[in-house]
Amino acid sequence: MQQHSLELTSGAELRKTFWPTMRRGVGLMRAHRLALWASIVLAVIGQIFTISIPWATGRVIDEAMRPRDTNQLRYLIILILCLAIGRFAVMYLRRLIAGTMAINIEQDLRNLVYHHLLSLSFPFYDRNQTGQIMSRATVDLTALRLFLGYGILFFTQHTVSVVAVMAVLLWMNPIVAAFVLVIVPPLGLLAVMYSRRSQPIVTEAQQALAHVTTQAEESVVGVRVIKAFGQEDQEVVRFRDRATDVFTLNVMATRLRSQYVPIMDFLPTISIALLMLVGGREVIQGSMSLGDFVTYSLLIALMVMPLRMLGAWIGEAQRFVASAIRIFAILDTEAEIVDAPDAQPLPAGGGAIHFDGVTFGYDWDRPIVSGVNLDIAPGSTVAIIGRTGSGKTTLTQLVPRFYDVQHGSVLVEGVDVRNLQLDELRGAIGIVAEDTYLFSATIRDNIAFGKPKATDAEVQKAAERAQAATFIEELPDGYETLVGERGLTLSGGQRQRIAIARALLLDPRILILDDATASVDASTESRIRRALEEVMQGRTTLIIAHRLSTIALADRIVVLDDGRIAADGTHDELIGTNDVYREIHDHGLVDRRFVDADGDHVIIPVGVDQEEGS
Amino acid sequence: MSRGPIGIGGAVVSGKGLRKQGLQRLARLGTYAGPYRWRLIGAITAMFGVLACTLALPLLLKAAIDSAIIPGDTRLLAFIAGSVVLVGIVGIGLSRAETYLTGWVGERILTDLRGDLFAHMQSLSMSYFERQRTGVLISRLTNDVEALQQLVKDGLTSTVRNVLTLVVAGTILLFLDFRLALATILVFPLMALLTYFFRGQSARAYRLMRSRLALVTAALQENLNGIRVIQAYRGEARSRAALAELNQSYRDANKTTVTSSGWYFPTVEFLAAVATCIVFGYGGYLYVDRSIEIGVLVAFIGYLASFFDPVQQLSQVYNTFLAGTAALDKIFDVMDDAPTLVDAPDALPLPALTGAVKFEDVRFGYNPERPVIDGLELNVLAGQTVALVGHTGAGKSTIIKLLARFYDPQGGRILIDGHDLRAVTVESLREQIAIVPQEGFLFNGTIHENIAFGRPDASRADVEQAAREVGADRFINELPDGYDERVQERGSRLSIGQRQLIAFARALLVDPRLLILDEATSSVDIQTEAHIEEALQRLLADRTAFVVAHRLSTIRSADLIVVLEHGKVVEAGSHEQLLAIDGRYRGLYGDWAEAVAR
Repeated sequence: MQQHSLELTSGAELRKTFWPTMRRGVGLMRAHRLALWASIVLAVIGQIFTISIPWATGRVIDEAMRPRDTNQLRYLIILILCLAIGRFAVMYLRRLIAGTMAINIEQDLRNLVYHHLLSLSFPFYDRNQTGQIMSRATVDLTALRLFLGYGILFFTQHTVSVVAVMAVLLWMNPIVAAFVLVIVPPLGLLAVMYSRRSQPIVTEAQQALAHVTTQAEESVVGVRVIKAFGQEDQEVVRFRDRATDVFTLNVMATRLRSQYVPIMDFLPTISIALLMLVGGREVIQGSMSLGDFVTYSLLIALMVMPLRMLGAWIGEAQRFVASAIRIFAILDTEAEIVDAPDAQPLPAGGGAIHFDGVTFGYDWDRPIVSGVNLDIAPGSTVAIIGRTGSGKTTLTQLVPRFYDVQHGSVLVEGVDVRNLQLDELRGAIGIVAEDTYLFSATIRDNIAFGKPKATDAEVQKAAERAQAATFIEELPDGYETLVGERGLTLSGGQRQRIAIARALLLDPRILILDDATASVDASTESRIRRALEEVMQGRTTLIIAHRLSTIALADRIVVLDDGRIAADGTHDELIGTNDVYREIHDHGLVDRRFVDADGDHVIIPVGVDQEEGS
Repeated sequence: MSRGPIGIGGAVVSGKGLRKQGLQRLARLGTYAGPYRWRLIGAITAMFGVLACTLALPLLLKAAIDSAIIPGDTRLLAFIAGSVVLVGIVGIGLSRAETYLTGWVGERILTDLRGDLFAHMQSLSMSYFERQRTGVLISRLTNDVEALQQLVKDGLTSTVRNVLTLVVAGTILLFLDFRLALATILVFPLMALLTYFFRGQSARAYRLMRSRLALVTAALQENLNGIRVIQAYRGEARSRAALAELNQSYRDANKTTVTSSGWYFPTVEFLAAVATCIVFGYGGYLYVDRSIEIGVLVAFIGYLASFFDPVQQLSQVYNTFLAGTAALDKIFDVMDDAPTLVDAPDALPLPALTGAVKFEDVRFGYNPERPVIDGLELNVLAGQTVALVGHTGAGKSTIIKLLARFYDPQGGRILIDGHDLRAVTVESLREQIAIVPQEGFLFNGTIHENIAFGRPDASRADVEQAAREVGADRFINELPDGYDERVQERGSRLSIGQRQLIAFARALLVDPRLLILDEATSSVDIQTEAHIEEALQRLLADRTAFVVAHRLSTIRSADLIVVLEHGKVVEAGSHEQLLAIDGRYRGLYGDWAEAVAR
């Protein structure tokens, strides 16, 4: 994944991978090959009809008008009408089949990429930012689907058009054709060159536009800081600069267009002039009919558009391959964490966890936890404490097997987690992460995320136990209130309580609380803590905590320092012997929020925090 | 992602009213073209030239057939062929000028408009930003300006060109042969009607498709953001099914566009063939009657193409026009919004402050009927640190917004060194105060630029000095590029504590007489906590400071603790003083002490 990043689009490597990638990209169409062939065949037939009409027009002149034969005229006009009806039927079918094929291909591609993304493990998401992945799943996917859905067909169709017209022209009169077709190579070449040269500028202009968006976003979101420091003018200058960058690039693109497109537009006039000179002379000399001359003039027009499109598609092919490489890089990333072939279900038990010489790091050569040995008895509560970066979160993430260890093993109920069925393992573990993510859905759906079939009563029960019920019920729509990015913004403490409810609803054997009470005020925390005391009964709990009050809930305290276990014991055992613990104990008192946060968009019903008193 | 439904949907406005309003908007947009009128005139002149060159071709072909080939005049034939080449070359030159000039003017207008819009937005008051959703404002500057781009760059020129082509080509057809022109133009209403229906259908289908695609994209985005939760709670299969379902509905919307373009384009081709049949069928009889020449028929075919194309393109332009004027409406709406908070006409610059602050019976509410601050009285001496304490909704944040004059009070007054805030210029006020918001907001740019935000001309030494004083130098020096390290995505790579320290350094560099600090509530680890406390001490020294306080250490060391409830001061005094009385503060403190004792 890392090595296959955006930079690959350049130069030599692209050329090397061009054809293999192209072949593989086209391979994605296998399921649609019938539709593709049908479209191509129909396109060819349609093209034959299209070319026949100018030909028949020439016949009208030669066989009906000049001999002044009205019968023949009637016959030929009916022929043209029939050709037109035939073309209509064929092209209608062609568009339906090809259009349906294109959207089916798009659907397949989206499902393929999206489904693969959902299956990828944490390490992939650690390495790649969401924005990057989104750009691949949208921009690159669009390039790919356009090429597969339309590119191949158009490419074939236009090639057929150009070749067919050229063949007819040569067949009718090779000498005149030789002159008239002089424009074909330069026109094709210009189209390719134009597409190749404009493409990087267009890409750059899009990037510049993205910068404008970023700047706009920043200035709107950060408007308070800007105004506070009176820097409006500076921001305006910066924004105008960004806008001017877009202007400069777009003008460059315009200049390029003004250099190529007019030539391509007027190049066919050269053909017409040559037709007059060479063909006209032949008509006068009698070696070419006037009808053929007119057919020629009409066919030239028929050839120009496909030729230009063909050139453009060739130029674009590079972009398709570049996008295909990026999409394939995602598809080639294998999900690292999958069930072993002989994975077994989770044995019954009370949630025993065993770390056996565990070493792990996100980078292979930089271990975050090293040589950890830890036995956690079923039903016990263990607090894991330590400085930032000491490996607390990392250690707990090995239990649900979000990552695989590098050395040693993690065992749950006595079985190596790598030999357990992921579904069963994760189903037995409830996790409340440090930063809580809520989906744009109702509060109910968010709580029931791990158990969508839960009854309303169960959801409410979980919310009550997580001390979330009171504030939820005071929201305008209660449990049906929409939250998340497109809904109501909740405070950090409220989000955390919903996450706790989400974990509790699962009634998990193992509960992992990663600093779960970090952003709630003292009164709420004490209530959550009492709730936790209750819910910890009968399950194994790992708590990562900064606060003494939370630490005090644990039967046992494990102090991590630089990825190793520095101390392990009860409060009484550690307070006298361990410096790190003593430091936390002494300073932990300071780290207490006096009253609840006063956020701008946070809705906390007045009165909730006072109602019970602590 | 999505531009959302545009234009036509607004059923409230009648078509005629919309057009009229649209034209007014366009006229206003036209003022932006004023400075570039010569280029614009050049572009239009070139456009006429290009049109002449394009339309000359069928006439030259006619001349070649009727006057040179049939009579056998090779010299005239060579002359005509030469003219064709000449027309081509002139056409290339003029078309080049037209393309470049129209593109240039269009881009220039958009750039100017975008800049003006942004400048205007920046001048609007804080209340405006709190009323509007950020997404909407950003969309004005991006999506709406881009929707205009279509109109400015293609729409207007192509309208002029197409109308002109239609008129000129039609006239030429009539002049070439009156009878034949009338016969072929029969196809025209059919084509127009067809196009009208198709455009309506495809515009609807397109909107549906865009909105479904937006749903797909939003769902994907959300799934990626929440991937850890999904995997932790084994929601993969459900997410897969949900995404597949959205994909399917998007595909179904797509299907309607396939169907409508499936019949439209072949029908247009068919009608063109019908026109050819009329030209050669009817024209053929006329030729047999010796009342028309072959070249005329050939020219007719050429002009019919020029005549039908504009019909199709103009209908497309109409959609662009609707979308563009809708965007214009939204843009000008913003530009017509006047800042609610402006300097009084006789506002004086605030002299150098000592920093004494007085609130006199101040009343304020975002909704005037529901006051958030209700009769606030507060007297702060120069150099004091004031800790504002109270529950959510007590009015802490509002007080500091009033003090920074993001809003004006609805009753009473706020005095700094005896000057009413409303009587001084905003600029001179903000020059002497610094605000540190809750979350240390970082801009795209280097660490240096972020610290020097309030004093862009500050030297590196000054910036380093400020960073050192708040202890931010410790981590900055460890960054690969130190002070020149670029902050990515609002500093997501930096920790919350680090962002805070940068915000402190930013404030310190300005060396304000009055500091306003909204203390962060996010949890940081103990070491960082200690660093922040240290930095705070440094920052609060030697100046008047208002702190929306969450840390006990901050509160305890404040000179004046103000306990607020429902917008009123219920208690004020030092920590010791307040503990001595049995009031709200002691209650809050008790909660805390009890929590710790557990």
